[in-house]
Amino acid sequence: MAATDLLDRVAVRAATRARPFWTIPRRDALVGYLLISPQLVGSALFVLLPLGLVVYYSLQEWNVLASTFEYVGGANYAKLLADPNMGQVLTGTALFSVGLVVLNLTLALSLAILLNQRLAGTTFFRTLFFSPVLVSLVAWTIVWQFLLQQDGGVNGLLGVVGVEGPNWLRGETTALLSVIVVQVVKNVGLNMVLFLAALQGVPRQLYEAAQLDGAGAWTRFARITVPQISPTILLTSIITVVGSLQVFAQIAVLTQGGPGMSTTVLVYYLYQQAFQFRHLGYGAALSVLLFLIVAALTLLQWRLRRKWVFHES
Amino acid sequence: MSRKLRLGLYALLCVLCVPFVFPTWWMVTSSVKPISDIFAFPPALVPSRFDFSTYGRVFELQPFGQQYLNSLYIAAVVTAGTMAVAAMAGYAFARIRFPGQNVLFLVVLVGLLIPSEVTIVPLFQMFHTAGLTDTHWPLILVPILGAPSVLATFIMRQFFITLPGELEEAARVDGLGRFGTFFRVALPLSRSALGAVAIFTFLHSWNLYLEPIVFLSTPSKFTLPQALTQFVDAYGSPLWNVQLSAATMTALPILVVFVLAQRQFIEGLAHTGLKG
Amino acid sequence: MKAPGKLAALSLTALLAVTACGGEAAPAAQGPQPLRMSIWTSNEAHLKLFNEIAAEYRKSHPQVGEITFDPIPFENYTTTLTTQIAGGNAPDLAWILENSAPDFVGSGALVPLKSKIENAGELVPAATRLWERDGELYAYPFSTSPFGVFVNTDLVKAAGQKTPRELMKAGQWDWQHANEINKAVAAKGKNGLTILNFDYKAWDNLATVWQGWGAKAWSDDGGTCQFNAPEMVEAMTFLHKAIFTDKSMPGPGTAVDFFSGDTSMAVAQISRAAMLEDATFKWDLVPLPAGPKGEYAVIGQAGIGVLKKSPRAEQATDFLTYFTNAANSAKLAAYFPPARGSVLTADTMAKTSPMLNGDQLQEVVVDGIQKGVVKPSHTGQAELAQTARAALDPLWKPDADVKAVLDGVCAKIQPLLGG
Repeated sequence: MAATDLLDRVAVRAATRARPFWTIPRRDALVGYLLISPQLVGSALFVLLPLGLVVYYSLQEWNVLASTFEYVGGANYAKLLADPNMGQVLTGTALFSVGLVVLNLTLALSLAILLNQRLAGTTFFRTLFFSPVLVSLVAWTIVWQFLLQQDGGVNGLLGVVGVEGPNWLRGETTALLSVIVVQVVKNVGLNMVLFLAALQGVPRQLYEAAQLDGAGAWTRFARITVPQISPTILLTSIITVVGSLQVFAQIAVLTQGGPGMSTTVLVYYLYQQAFQFRHLGYGAALSVLLFLIVAALTLLQWRLRRKWVFHES
Repeated sequence: MSRKLRLGLYALLCVLCVPFVFPTWWMVTSSVKPISDIFAFPPALVPSRFDFSTYGRVFELQPFGQQYLNSLYIAAVVTAGTMAVAAMAGYAFARIRFPGQNVLFLVVLVGLLIPSEVTIVPLFQMFHTAGLTDTHWPLILVPILGAPSVLATFIMRQFFITLPGELEEAARVDGLGRFGTFFRVALPLSRSALGAVAIFTFLHSWNLYLEPIVFLSTPSKFTLPQALTQFVDAYGSPLWNVQLSAATMTALPILVVFVLAQRQFIEGLAHTGLKG
Repeated sequence: MKAPGKLAALSLTALLAVTACGGEAAPAAQGPQPLRMSIWTSNEAHLKLFNEIAAEYRKSHPQVGEITFDPIPFENYTTTLTTQIAGGNAPDLAWILENSAPDFVGSGALVPLKSKIENAGELVPAATRLWERDGELYAYPFSTSPFGVFVNTDLVKAAGQKTPRELMKAGQWDWQHANEINKAVAAKGKNGLTILNFDYKAWDNLATVWQGWGAKAWSDDGGTCQFNAPEMVEAMTFLHKAIFTDKSMPGPGTAVDFFSGDTSMAVAQISRAAMLEDATFKWDLVPLPAGPKGEYAVIGQAGIGVLKKSPRAEQATDFLTYFTNAANSAKLAAYFPPARGSVLTADTMAKTSPMLNGDQLQEVVVDGIQKGVVKPSHTGQAELAQTARAALDPLWKPDADVKAVLDGVCAKIQPLLGG
């Protein structure tokens, strides 16, 4: 703090001289650059540089064991276009991401609204819904692996209410569904808390005024709640969309991409190709594809934000 | 609210929380079950007898205490560092105008889009050439400065953007410079957003799995998620009850801390919250 | 820890990395040279033994510095090892899993060892085949662990069945009889036979069964898929019937743990006997049952190789020579069944494997290693394994058409086999 105060003072003094070089915008700019510099340097070093290297690798045929590394131009991208698995992988990825995002956001918002009611014990339930967030991911998936067995806990519970559960991780549809649910239950608490925080920030007067105007519950939700919490919706949906395309450890533990290719999402396929099959060049090309997809989706959300998000004009 | 509705809501909440509570319950109880109970069907809700010896074995098989400390201190350093980096950058991107701002923000945002699987090989090469593999540096530096901190910066920017514009004017009237405004006015107001960042960051670091496996090779330097996968016999088969005991030990203290501090955690977040 | 210095180094490195891709190894420094061996066990007894051998070696080799044994989780072993190699941080020596043997041996990543290994001639040929290319040995097969069948004799008797040992004496120990026993046990509500680690994913473990039918995953030259050959179809039909009709094998999605006592038989490597130390039931270990093509044995393997990339490959090779000499082989035999003829006798093994009796050691271990075949492996094994796994998944359903599924497997993997 001392140093920054000093900087401020220097800047102020400089600014009060006869011919002010340090105008307010210039001072601001300097401060701005200083404040973002750690993040910027970090990005250059730990994001952009590695990313550049990945693009570079994607133009090579790299055999780690034989220590060969040779330029092959667009061969890895040609392979990507011709890869017979690509269709299945991309469909699986889309199904997985859409399912996960929709389930996560609706559940998070529903829970937040439920827990935002004046009801005794909401603190207790809030803790319960949030608790999986705190359990280590590896531990969480190991436990679910047991619970989802044919004779596991989930079917045991279903049996209590007289339902004979399927063999969750062995059916193509149920496996995909299982991975989505396991992931949502693990992380929905975070989004729930963010929504809850946003909901509590909505001024009560708005609802009261709307009620006087005779607006029903749904109208109040659509006209007041959603616009008011829209920045949080933007934030959570970006985080969730990006996160859904990066789900890896759960799939590795629960299904290893199967049965068939049903749960082989792009990031898992990339991992398989690069690390298990040791096609590092091809894996790099897949990385570039994944990066482009995530970037396009995020950019789209970011572009659309002006249409519906408050505080963004 | 009518009594009926109230009861209905409670019933709904109780049903909904089953998938959230049951796995943790199963993990904790199974860690003291005899191994045959773990495989029993239907699964036993309460162990037929309690066997705590597995907890001792956790510490025999791995330097588990050391690994616990490693995870804790790495997560703490990463959380503190990320909060600092993200608050500064988030504030600058939200409230200060400077040339190239939008481009630079986009450049930083790139980090949000990269799964760690994508850059792990080049990062490994870089840290190896710097002689920093098998140290905790990659697990600290990359999260604070690299891709994972971008989310934090993004959250902070989204928060600072919602502060009223009069804030700076008032601060300036009080004779505060930019830095002063940031430290004395904006930062104290952002406690709640910082809280969210802290939770996100701590959990991210606490759960980190791929990076420790790739970067660390000495058991006494391992972190917890990595250690969990090490409770196997010589042929790679998991020692289930030992693994579950270790998993319980990684989860329970955090759960307890959370329950105790939940007012600060969630309510603090909610009251001054990431306002809509 | 001088962080700023390190940071500076790191930024410099970042620039260098662009030009020096592929990760060159650091130049050799002066003074005692450390050695590093990647392993997948983190068992303390194992590590203690390794460290003792290393300490002994360093007494006579002052030029060698510290020797470290780096445990990498078994789950991700080959993946992590390759990432380290790709990142330019190859260990000097590494354990190698049998399924990645062709990749490591075939790529030229390993240092030739034949002339370096003490008395290499006494290594059992069945154990070295996987690690050889063009008559040269590229890794030392330090663990050669035959598959046997662990039997819960209590469960078998409770189901009113003859024990496998009784069947062996009568010359009837084959898969049909084994299946009858397991069917009877399963009818009592317990589990029949399980193949450890298979879990309806790691299909290469099924070689412990199909070998009895003379089936192969692919031809000996590795060029042709054999999944749809008549022997394989027959063997797979047997398995499918056992799983879904006779229920004598627990079906997919069922967790089974033989060692907890609810399962009548488990096909596993003999080293698992250690898990039975505290068993609450009576058990036996017998060889794999005979198949339609007669008796057979299957072995699982692990090798130690020296990486060519190591700047200290020479010292590393010398240490490996010491680590695997006859005296140390005998010590290692306590945990890892040896491939050395001089150590491979029921008598010497009995001293180090107190869980097993002389008959069990002779029948399963000594005979098994002599005549055993290894599980299928091929260059590009990881991709083959995944592709075949995905194509085999439809087989593990009650109404599967075995021949059609196996044809599908061949359609998928034939391009990978190189044709």
